[in-house]
Amino acid sequence: MAFLEVRDIVKSFGGLRALQDVSLSVEKGEIRAIIGPNGAGKSTLFNVMTGLLSPDSGEVRFDGERISGIPPYRVIRKGIGRSFQITNIFPRMSVFENVQVALFSHHRENRSALTLARNFREVTDEVLAVLGLVGLADKFDSSASVLSHGDQKRLEIAITLACRPRLLMLDEPTAGMSRFESRETIALLQKISREQGLTLVFTEHDMDIVFGISEKITVLQQGMVIADGEPAEIKANPEVRKAYLGEEIAE
Amino acid sequence: MALLELASVNTFYGRSHILFDVSLSVGKGEVVSLLGRNGAGKSTTFRSIIGLTPPQTGEVIFKGERISGMRAFRICRKGVGFVPEDRRCFPDLTVRENLEVAVRREKQTSSPWTVEKVYSLFPRLQEREKNLGSQLSGGEQQMLTIARTLMTNPDLLLLDEPSEGLAPMIVALLADMIIRIRAEGVTVLLAEQNLHFCAKVADRGYVIDKGSVKYEGKISDLLGNEEIKEKYLAV
Amino acid sequence: MTGFLDISFLTVQVLSALRLAAFLFLISSGLTLIFGVLNILNFAHGALYMLGAYFMFWVTSQVTGPGGFFLAMAMAPLGVALIGMILEMGLLRRIYIQEEIYQLLLTYALVLIIDDLAKIVFGAEYKSIPKPAFLEGAITLFGGTVPTYTILVVVIAPTVAALLWYLLYRTKTGKVIRATSSDREMADALGINMKALFTLVFAFGAVLAGFGGALAGPARTVFPGVGTEVIIECFVVVVIGGLGNLWGALVGSLLIGALETVGIIVFPEFEMGLIYLLMVAVLVVRPWGLFGKPLKIKALSEKNLSFESQEISPVHFSSRPWLWVIPVVLLLIFPAFAGRFYQYLLTQIFVAALMAVAFNLLLGTTGLLSFGQAAFFGVGAYTVGLLLTKTGTGTMPALGLSLFTSAVAASVIGFFCVRLTGVHFAMLTLAFGQLIFAIAFKWYGFTGGDNGIQGIPVREIPLAGLGLLDIGSTKSMYYFVLVVAGLAVAFLRRVRSSPFGATLKAIRENGQRASYLGINVTLYQWTAFVIAGTFTGLAGGLFALMERSISPEIIHWTKSADPVLMTIIGGIYTFVGPAVGAVVLIVLNSYIVAWTEYWALVLGMVLLLLVLLLPGGVIGFVNEKARDYLTRSGWIRRWLFSKSATS
Repeated sequence: MAFLEVRDIVKSFGGLRALQDVSLSVEKGEIRAIIGPNGAGKSTLFNVMTGLLSPDSGEVRFDGERISGIPPYRVIRKGIGRSFQITNIFPRMSVFENVQVALFSHHRENRSALTLARNFREVTDEVLAVLGLVGLADKFDSSASVLSHGDQKRLEIAITLACRPRLLMLDEPTAGMSRFESRETIALLQKISREQGLTLVFTEHDMDIVFGISEKITVLQQGMVIADGEPAEIKANPEVRKAYLGEEIAE
Repeated sequence: MALLELASVNTFYGRSHILFDVSLSVGKGEVVSLLGRNGAGKSTTFRSIIGLTPPQTGEVIFKGERISGMRAFRICRKGVGFVPEDRRCFPDLTVRENLEVAVRREKQTSSPWTVEKVYSLFPRLQEREKNLGSQLSGGEQQMLTIARTLMTNPDLLLLDEPSEGLAPMIVALLADMIIRIRAEGVTVLLAEQNLHFCAKVADRGYVIDKGSVKYEGKISDLLGNEEIKEKYLAV
Repeated sequence: MTGFLDISFLTVQVLSALRLAAFLFLISSGLTLIFGVLNILNFAHGALYMLGAYFMFWVTSQVTGPGGFFLAMAMAPLGVALIGMILEMGLLRRIYIQEEIYQLLLTYALVLIIDDLAKIVFGAEYKSIPKPAFLEGAITLFGGTVPTYTILVVVIAPTVAALLWYLLYRTKTGKVIRATSSDREMADALGINMKALFTLVFAFGAVLAGFGGALAGPARTVFPGVGTEVIIECFVVVVIGGLGNLWGALVGSLLIGALETVGIIVFPEFEMGLIYLLMVAVLVVRPWGLFGKPLKIKALSEKNLSFESQEISPVHFSSRPWLWVIPVVLLLIFPAFAGRFYQYLLTQIFVAALMAVAFNLLLGTTGLLSFGQAAFFGVGAYTVGLLLTKTGTGTMPALGLSLFTSAVAASVIGFFCVRLTGVHFAMLTLAFGQLIFAIAFKWYGFTGGDNGIQGIPVREIPLAGLGLLDIGSTKSMYYFVLVVAGLAVAFLRRVRSSPFGATLKAIRENGQRASYLGINVTLYQWTAFVIAGTFTGLAGGLFALMERSISPEIIHWTKSADPVLMTIIGGIYTFVGPAVGAVVLIVLNSYIVAWTEYWALVLGMVLLLLVLLLPGGVIGFVNEKARDYLTRSGWIRRWLFSKSATS
């Protein structure tokens, strides 16, 4: 069985079918992009895969374990990290604390109520190491809310990485970044996933990035998988082309 | 002189820079399309024009008057109508009420839109007149938001991805409606990623990618330009 | 035979229930309308109701006779509307983008100010408003005697409801109001002037409140503070019905009207508690009320994040213990220089500070606004009071048990509350608080009812092998409370700077992100709730010891407002802020009360200025400056790296 296995997911909102029999499987160490036009169901799929939504039917298995239908905090503890389309950090905490709290959670130290946080020296070191990795080490004492957008996105990646996930799910990791920032971020992600053997699943609208780094691509349209394969296959697929450019309209 | 003119517009969401020096112009009576993939900056361009996310630098000129910096309701009253991509009809109001709350500028217009007039354009809405906004299908919601915006009697209509998520038959229907709206003297700026839909209704087009304009020209030229299509529109 | 099935009896009761429902509806409909469009829960709505009644009083005293009565009935709503417009345009408008606590607080400040202004203008006494002769008498209906005025009220209220329906569903403005309450941004883009509409809706809500006051005035009486009694009932109505929903307000009013009427007959001992019991039951089963929809949670980007650098965070926190020695030494030697009055004043401050600091673990640290904290204070105080008066328990065991009972109470109440957020959380804690208040107030056999417990014996504390410690004198009580509260505050300080505290802060900042770090958000919120409740209970226990008498007033919701005020005065996102707020509030109180009877007016003004000018509180302001200095001097950087394990 594949590392991440999505089987026949159906999800409706009211009368609207957001996902229809979506299946895909991701191998360990793979870099997988999920693309599709607006409203294709990418975010819904991400939310189902990480426990924010329960599927109406079908299941998601990660490393052999069923993870659909259990709350996000338990999905995460199985070794999945997720970042969000809209920057999702702890704004009124310092950069340092943002990562620190993630590490406390990872080491299951959040319950320690009687030891001062600053006395966890190993954690302090780890925080600085993670911040170094994403290039935020010298900004550790600024409030997260005053960072530039690119830095905030980087911080979010740092928070996600701090929990040592085996599978990283990134929802538009470069949204709102300048071209320079997004190139840097992608290089960083590639480096980390290679070094740590991470599996990467991401959505992205920047096609340069999608075709630049992914090994396999899944294309969604109107809640259905219309294509699944290697970048070259996807590029040549007429169905995909139609999804993006629309059908010819008969006179 | 152009009806709408954007000059080097830069727009931010919080700290994130979305639009980079976007300039474009729309002449009176034209249908112009703004093409680009999702996330390219089409919606932000529209929100910058209507004043919901005002630009930080640059100018938006409408009928010779600077409208950037005005609040949205003022811009609407100047004659800019905005149809958002997520079809936000008022869910607790009936179809007719949705139309009634938008009535505006009847006196500034020679033959103003009335409920009956938009019903003749969208007969389906008349059938569902008493239904709540939340009870409509996706296509009906799309028609209602367009119809509702027409009730403000705009000189310029901003249509944000009207074809998104609709069945091909409805998309063809929608194209006819845009042509009829234009015939009523309304200028249309249309954001789309569906090139063929644009080809049916628009004269000119801008291609936008990563927040800046990459191409400007006739739609017919764009249809033949494989390079631009590959690079910015298809995958 | 007179029984429940007696038709005349039934007629009288039904009409009395309807009368009550009518008044409730008139006020609640405006309250819920304002919430629906402006998203503000207007504490001052009761004050507007009171103003309506005073307008009625004033006009009828100027122009007598039936003409004056009807003139007043017409003038009162308009006068209140004018005041409403001024308040909206002058004050409320400035805080729409703030977090909801500031909105609640601003309207609460208005309550304090308006109440005292009414006292200055009209005097503190109860005023009754004359009715014209033809409305004075009573008529007989199905054998029951019903006041004519009740008939008038019961006829007018449905007329107003019908009119409201017509306005909202048949006029363009009404449709615009409904459209705006579901999607502001879209309404804006369709050419609707939001600012003007907000003013209009607030004024219209004020009209309804003012009319309610004008109509209720002659039937009830009017006095400064009457609005405060009314507003809580109306909160119950709109929360049960669903915030922002007009039909909810109607159904809620009828329910409460019926329940109170039946309650008085069937269950007089607990009539007051019934409505809170109903509210708790509704919110537990349907968190958004009977007709309500889940409120959209504001995205972080829409919130005002002006407090980004108020906290000297654990990274920045000074590790110089001698800084703490100074105040501790000062407090220890204080009784040598100050008389008994000041010793007592400071003891009061210690208790209040403990309560406020514990409370702020919920508000400032976890981001949950509890409006029922007095309940735990009361549980602790009554535990100590009852144990010491009714049993031979020692002082320390009693204090220990107060920790236990308040922990149990907080565990149970917290279990239900943490499933809600924002205003609904605040309302559910309020309901639980009032429920406990009602129990203490009415259960004469156990709690002494409204008499409370007097003459609580404070027994000497045995110290192992060292004899007995007497804490009976003011001075020894000062030291006792200082030590106990001091240790508790030190404990809370530690909790807040621990990984657990960091987790709570993360939940406050972004609950969704926290759950995506593998944190069980609800469990942590519950734990914070229990800790806050437990230490508030300890403060209550200390209070019972130092005062030696307690009464149910310490559980009333107005007491729950105290820690909120202290926290905001001192600084919500700081640890010592609430304690500083306790000092400010209690010292101000004891001096200002000696100087003027209008303490509420002064407090209201202070709050108003704080919300508008210094929302971070006193300590928040100081910290901001200190942090800037520390950052600039590079001290933080040196300190952090000296803490690193590898260095």
